[in-house]
Amino acid sequence: MPGAPSKRQKREQYKESLGKDDQSGALPKKKFYRQRAHANPFSDHSLTYPKSPSDMDWASYYPAYAAKVDESEATVTQAPKEEDASKQITRPVEIADIGCGYGGLLFALAPKFPDTLLVGMEIRISVCEFVQEKIRALRHQNLATGAYQNVTCLRANTMKFLPNFFAKAQLAKIFLCFPDPHFKARKHKARIVSTTLNSEYAYVLKPGGIVYTITDVEDLHNWMVEHFVAHPSFKRLGEEEQEQDVCVEVMRTETEEGKKVGRNGGQKFVACFRRMEDPPWP
Amino acid sequence: MAVPFQCVQACRPDPQDHSSWVLLAASGPRIYSCHSSGATSVWSSQKISEPPVHADEPQEPPGKKVKLSKQAEEPPNVSKLVVTSDYQHLVAVTAEDKCLRVFRLDLTGRLEPLSERPMPKRPCAVTLIENDATILCADKFGDVYALPLVPSPTDADDIFVAAQEKKETSASFVPTATPLTVHSGRNRKALEDQLKQKLQPKTKGPLKFKHDLLLGHVSMLTDILYAEIAGEKAEAKPRTYIFTADRDEHIRISRGPPQSHIIEGFCQGHREFVSKLCLTGSGDLISGGGDDDLIVWDWLNSRMLEKISIKQPVLDFFKAHPQHARPPQESEGDLKVAVSGIWAIPSSSSRDSVLVTCEGVPALFLFKIDSEKKVSSLQQTLPLVGNPLDLTLLESGQSTEVIIVSIDHTREPGSTTMLRQKEVNVILEQLNDQAQGDGLLGREVEVANAENPGKQAALQDIFYGIENLRKRAGAED
Repeated sequence: MPGAPSKRQKREQYKESLGKDDQSGALPKKKFYRQRAHANPFSDHSLTYPKSPSDMDWASYYPAYAAKVDESEATVTQAPKEEDASKQITRPVEIADIGCGYGGLLFALAPKFPDTLLVGMEIRISVCEFVQEKIRALRHQNLATGAYQNVTCLRANTMKFLPNFFAKAQLAKIFLCFPDPHFKARKHKARIVSTTLNSEYAYVLKPGGIVYTITDVEDLHNWMVEHFVAHPSFKRLGEEEQEQDVCVEVMRTETEEGKKVGRNGGQKFVACFRRMEDPPWP
Repeated sequence: MAVPFQCVQACRPDPQDHSSWVLLAASGPRIYSCHSSGATSVWSSQKISEPPVHADEPQEPPGKKVKLSKQAEEPPNVSKLVVTSDYQHLVAVTAEDKCLRVFRLDLTGRLEPLSERPMPKRPCAVTLIENDATILCADKFGDVYALPLVPSPTDADDIFVAAQEKKETSASFVPTATPLTVHSGRNRKALEDQLKQKLQPKTKGPLKFKHDLLLGHVSMLTDILYAEIAGEKAEAKPRTYIFTADRDEHIRISRGPPQSHIIEGFCQGHREFVSKLCLTGSGDLISGGGDDDLIVWDWLNSRMLEKISIKQPVLDFFKAHPQHARPPQESEGDLKVAVSGIWAIPSSSSRDSVLVTCEGVPALFLFKIDSEKKVSSLQQTLPLVGNPLDLTLLESGQSTEVIIVSIDHTREPGSTTMLRQKEVNVILEQLNDQAQGDGLLGREVEVANAENPGKQAALQDIFYGIENLRKRAGAED
């Protein structure tokens, strides 16, 4: 006896309907993309990721910035030799939102940094699809102005594969917004911030680049501060400097989690850290 | 049945007597030490007895099932042996109890246990740095620790005091979440339960010996190397580097301590796990793993120099030796190669050579490496009587080496699982004709002819664990 259509069936029907032409400007509905809020960063998943940053097909994510194949090599930003020029873009990605969730921060930042390329990275496949659909729809709605051409989202496990996407000193800003707190002590290695992982953030950040963190869990905030402060490559931004940064306000109010915490009357703890120059060899 | 040697190391500890040698070989939970004079000694691992847990102590909250350890009573198997460059110490890793064990090695090859340090996770690779003063230990969780080879007694006291202080301050348990934290309904309930629970006991105490966390990957580490090169200015200190390889295709190059938090670069190009790293005499880095090729790197510039096929020599070898049991393959293309070892051969000529072994392939592959002209090539394939498990080089005279290979005499050559139909009596095979080598071999067979007290399944993983690093399709999403 057929019961009510299952969740999967509904999602499939919905995604089929999205493919139709008249839907191309419609924003995706979040209810069809919900996914459990946790993912195991140690598991293999079935991920696709480039062998190295120069191998990354950025052009398919930022079609408006695709390097023209016939142009001189000077416009190609990354490793022009040996690489397929059709994958290259005219400027490097400089802002990464790690664990972008439903992309609230990305969509708020994209108009504020119209000349900078932003990427959201999300490990949960459905959530990532939602953001990609929303980008597609927003780009379609803004064909005239070309807005949202500078933002994209891809599925990745950044804890393992961050250096596969970004070259040394490529990024100017990294956002870590409302990460999974992993309350149990046994799970602390799964946290997005740790002394050992901070070395990888330092590697992909330019000297002077900034890591932004925000969370509603005080203990996690203390943990992130402790681990970044303990890392010799990072220095915490002072209160004043932090509050003057336009990104901090956006992060507080525009992220999906930020709004939820606000509705709930919870606290939001912010900390930002600047990537220092590497010291000379001893 | 006798158990093969999973690790072998040969050295000449006596600086006065250049003809004497010591062979150290691990078989299951035992380490055999064999001196050229004929003296043989055996050390066998015991399970570290932990103080019994009192039943009335507060236990870990239910959820994680503690294995009622029947197998823990088995002595742990040795998974790695490393001899210091002055031949005075041996570092051994035992797998099941995750222990780093240091022995003093005297001139006659006798082993005297000095210390045993249980690590938080199973060590996968160890190397010695700073003139053998420090052990670098890379573990299954992706972390690299530095530990003094011989811990000084004051360190232990300091750590004990620090731990005591910490205990006093962190006596009461405060949950990290608050009712204002964004939560699902079930989480909120868990939080209420936590608040009722007054005190949560620490499940694992801190390590009671000096150890520094240098760096970490979010992936299982497979190998670690250390290199030192001259600084840019003449008067500058030499620059030191740590190379770490992991199961997720990465080779990371970090600065050596005290700046090991700085990543200098990555050698990117592997498509499958990396299992072995090797530095040649002239300083090139060679890596191998689950890919069809070995890769030669200009590691200072994170640049790939050359790919050398390892799959083709393996295919050619099996074609030339059809008698070997091979895992059934649909076609040649399906053959999966897993590099289990790469060793640099010190050579006086200008070109470097390396020996390569692959899991379950009864042969040694000798490559000449010439990365400058990019003409590295297979020089020779040396067939063996069984699958190689480990290999060691013993210098014998000017620039000649005896190669001693530990052979798996229990499984069919070419297979990692099939047991041999008929027994062969070769456990160590020695290449290059050297009279002294023969003497060394016969005796080893005798000493090793003991029943194995260890678990077979655990040993299978130590003998043939490399191919298991390969990712399988259809992992969870």
